[in-house]
Amino acid sequence: MSVIRLENLSKTYKGGIVALRGIDLEVNAGEVFGFLGPNGAGKSTTVKLLLNFIRPSGGTAYLFDEPVTCARSRRRVGYLPESVHLHRYYTGQRLLVFYAGLSGVERSVRSQRAAELLERFGLLGAAKRKILQYSKGMLQRMGLAQALINDPDLLILDEPTSNLDPVARRDVRDILLEFTARGKTVFICSHILSEVESVCDRVGILQHGELRRVGTLQELSGSPITRIVVRDIPAGTVRALSAAGMRLTINGREATIACKDEAAHREAEQMLEAHGAEIERVETGRRSLEEIFFDAIEGT
Amino acid sequence: MTEILLIAGDSVRALLHRRLLVALMIGMLGLTVVSSLLLNAVLERVQEEGAWVPESNQSETDKQQARQMRDGLEELGPIFMAGFFWFATLGGAAVAVYTCSVAVSTDIRQGTISVVLAKPVTRAQFLLGKYCGAGVVLCSYSALTGIAMVVFAYANQTDLNLTARYAPWLMFCNNLMMGSVALLLSLFVRPFVAAVIAYFASASFLSSPNPLYFILPSYDRLNVALLIMEGKLIAIEDIFVLTLYAFDVAIIFVLLSLWRFRTREMI
Repeated sequence: MSVIRLENLSKTYKGGIVALRGIDLEVNAGEVFGFLGPNGAGKSTTVKLLLNFIRPSGGTAYLFDEPVTCARSRRRVGYLPESVHLHRYYTGQRLLVFYAGLSGVERSVRSQRAAELLERFGLLGAAKRKILQYSKGMLQRMGLAQALINDPDLLILDEPTSNLDPVARRDVRDILLEFTARGKTVFICSHILSEVESVCDRVGILQHGELRRVGTLQELSGSPITRIVVRDIPAGTVRALSAAGMRLTINGREATIACKDEAAHREAEQMLEAHGAEIERVETGRRSLEEIFFDAIEGT
Repeated sequence: MTEILLIAGDSVRALLHRRLLVALMIGMLGLTVVSSLLLNAVLERVQEEGAWVPESNQSETDKQQARQMRDGLEELGPIFMAGFFWFATLGGAAVAVYTCSVAVSTDIRQGTISVVLAKPVTRAQFLLGKYCGAGVVLCSYSALTGIAMVVFAYANQTDLNLTARYAPWLMFCNNLMMGSVALLLSLFVRPFVAAVIAYFASASFLSSPNPLYFILPSYDRLNVALLIMEGKLIAIEDIFVLTLYAFDVAIIFVLLSLWRFRTREMI
């Protein structure tokens, strides 16, 4: 059974802005799916369509094989929006009990479930405080807690760690891993490629409303690529390589040039030689998610 | 049903946390009480002035004047009652248009709606819950006005005629109707604009008794102050018909709101 299914889904906003151009996608049970794309690619639009906040211009979206227009399809879904806006007049405990009620959690277990989540997210001490008094990080954790209140089978996360400090980010990653270890499905929209790479089984890369790539990291990495590592590369060489369309990553004193085939490898070596840059080493390996991502959005 | 009740409870909580609404309710009730105390003071003063000369010392002209004053005072009772309801109705209308215009639009503006609608809650349940919550606030306001009215009538030793006895209910019906119009409009325009239009978009203001009467709700049939002022006694059948009218209008506008809300995009 597919947990998420998009069939030729398209969306054109008023004013003729095309956000999605007939995308097809299937996310299966137990998968951690990373939905990537630059700003304006259509990621948030897809999430809004999945949760029935907006209507598609064409195609259909399904959650657990039920059309998203049916409220029942959201019974097993938890959602964390990018900007968490919660009812500020509730205390943490009351808010979770309220959301538990809306999620169809039985009355007898609502308080217990809320207390468990508050403890899990380190918010037990703030349980009696109003949401109004919560910090940004606390709000984000409370947002994640409300998304898990009904013990969902599918978690939709829109930039889940955008407001978190590194410690909290690690905690969220641990929670996600714990969640997926129980066979649950996660759909993550994120800009942070390293984060997606560390937790996702499959990724989809969206650009200009089109799904450019879908697959596991292994599938998408394709044939191994060569990386030329240069130490203390002169600025002029960097400019020349960039102008020639070479993909260059600079990390400290090291610059890495990714070459997708033998011809590119040769061309890079010739340019480096011409500029007098010394090659430190040449590596061969799988492409990183960042390389896959840039390949996808640049259409190469 | 559970979802509607939960959202209604949340709506009441949200509305009671709006300082402007609470201030408006307390302010209007306070104004009503102060105005009734002032009117009461005027009444007592007039009574005192008419009674300071002993009747045995009064000439025939004085006696006639005293009689006229007593008659006048008897006529003043309904006018004072109408004055009381004028304030109460104005306050009720302000509370109604404010409560209903912010009920849904605030959640949309603040973004809290996205968390709620991501739960297995239909848009209809959300809107009805919010409307019910607003209805509870309006009902409470009418109940408070009713209590104030009984106290006022007791303090002034004024008889409560049938119209005044049913006044809080009629006021509630009127407010519910006005609130429904505000709710619908708030899904198209900003809450403040919706509230202002809802208050004035009445056949009573615009076109009485022109054809607009058939397409716009009329509030003046439920205007308690006017009814008391005009000395119109309303029979129980009339109250039943007025209730039906108000609920008809409210239902039509809530259905229109549902249609609008179902088709609206929550961005």
